[in-house]
Amino acid sequence: MMSEVLRLENVTKSFKHKIAVNQVSFSIKKGEVTAILGPNGAGKTTTISMILGLLKPTTGDITLFNSQPQELHVRQRIRTMLQQVSVMPGLNVNEILMLIRSYYLEPLPLTDLIHLTGLTEQDLKTRTEKLSGGQKRRLNFALALAGNPELMIFDEPTVGMDITSRHHFWQTINTFANQGKTIIFSTHYLQEANDNAQRILLFKDGSIVADSTPQQIKSRISKKAVSFLTDPDTSLEILYQHPEIEKIFRKNNRVYIYSDHTDRILELLFQTKIGAHDIQIESGNLEEAFSQLTGENKEVI
Amino acid sequence: MNAFRMQCKMEIKRVLRNRYFVFWSLMMPILFYYIFTKVVNTDNLDPATWKAHYLMSMTAFSVMGSSIMTLGIRMVQERTQGWSTFIRLTPLPDPIYFSAQMVGQSIIHILSITIIFLAGAIINKISLTPLEWFLSGLWLLLGSLPFLSIGTLIGLMKKVETAAGVSNVLYMVLAVCGGMWMPLEIMPKTMQSIGHWLPSYHFGSGAWEIVQGGMPSWKNIVILFAYLVVLMILSKYIRRKQEAV
Repeated sequence: MMSEVLRLENVTKSFKHKIAVNQVSFSIKKGEVTAILGPNGAGKTTTISMILGLLKPTTGDITLFNSQPQELHVRQRIRTMLQQVSVMPGLNVNEILMLIRSYYLEPLPLTDLIHLTGLTEQDLKTRTEKLSGGQKRRLNFALALAGNPELMIFDEPTVGMDITSRHHFWQTINTFANQGKTIIFSTHYLQEANDNAQRILLFKDGSIVADSTPQQIKSRISKKAVSFLTDPDTSLEILYQHPEIEKIFRKNNRVYIYSDHTDRILELLFQTKIGAHDIQIESGNLEEAFSQLTGENKEVI
Repeated sequence: MNAFRMQCKMEIKRVLRNRYFVFWSLMMPILFYYIFTKVVNTDNLDPATWKAHYLMSMTAFSVMGSSIMTLGIRMVQERTQGWSTFIRLTPLPDPIYFSAQMVGQSIIHILSITIIFLAGAIINKISLTPLEWFLSGLWLLLGSLPFLSIGTLIGLMKKVETAAGVSNVLYMVLAVCGGMWMPLEIMPKTMQSIGHWLPSYHFGSGAWEIVQGGMPSWKNIVILFAYLVVLMILSKYIRRKQEAV
């Protein structure tokens, strides 16, 4: 039985003119790696801010380690990396890391921090105001790890990272996940959620529209299709009756058939002899399907 | 406790590395002091009295400057750059953070006072009794409280540029009209009557009295205290209003 780290119960946050988060409930167990996935404006950042105690829910309850988010013993055990890179001017990287480490009861050793984040000797001696964008992000990551937190929360952590740092970041996160740390991150890239999370909370317009493993979400939103050309006068009625077919329609003379089992559809096409030619198998584009699921266009489902 | 000590240490380091602080709070006052006691002739006053008087003016000028400018601008910077949010998310308790800032600021003031007093003693061989040195230093340290609360008010501003501009102007106006650059007595009557209601005048006046063998008047203390109370209420009110949005 795994213990529960985070619980949200009917959490709603409304600002002046809009409801940013609407009746959201979920709980996260120790050791889970969870992605909060959704397009911009879906309520990801608002939800994370509430979990961190930076915003108060309008209604509903949030508990972390069975306590309120603002309590100090909660703060000892969680850490975040905010979207905005924050630095304290006037100190060098080494000093700022020492300062932040002093806040925690069991900080991560400095050598580990350097190793995990890729900070160099030179970086350590540099004043924070003189750091480049990449160095700042490494520092920010180091600051997030400094307290050796049990729960790590990242709001769109890879925005603005190049491919190498992105790769390095996820590698480090996976190391932590393997150590049994609980990790929550938000992203608007389905691929990123798919590659790095065991569980995806899919947000849309402030509500959770799906809560399952990446595989389930993928199979739900990416439909495979077979398309072919045929004489416009040919009746497709014979195909309609078949249970394997989820959806069938014509577009610009081309017939599209959606199904999970494209092989069976091909078999059917040859059996029924409806004059199908120029047959193509289209495996659904994940990103496209995802944007259709969360966007205005609901035609797919 | 470790966190508190570390926080104080880092706060002090940051101030000392701040070029504005070193220039405005240490170099400028000493330079002014040198010019107005050595280079420019001020023969309308008794030289010994003037030298001690002006040393107090310049030290008050320095402490007032770091209270208003260094503190205020830094607060805005920390907020706009997301640092305040960052600190809020650490397990460092707020009271420790604020008290470390206050202790850090006080140590900086003690340092400024010591350096400028030393400079005065060396430049003009000022001789005050140890008690006078101590009391005037203590007065300047405690009297800086209303200016620290001006600093926190400035710190509530949204942009660093505005905060820097406003605090600069305020600092200069307070210094000049409060008689820190030249004694109020030689200024026009209207300036004098305005000056007598400014906290900067009473801040300086307390120290001026001490180096002449007297004590700060009740009026000095009451007016500075009144400013402190009003400014603290004002900043609390504004803070609450900002949070409500």
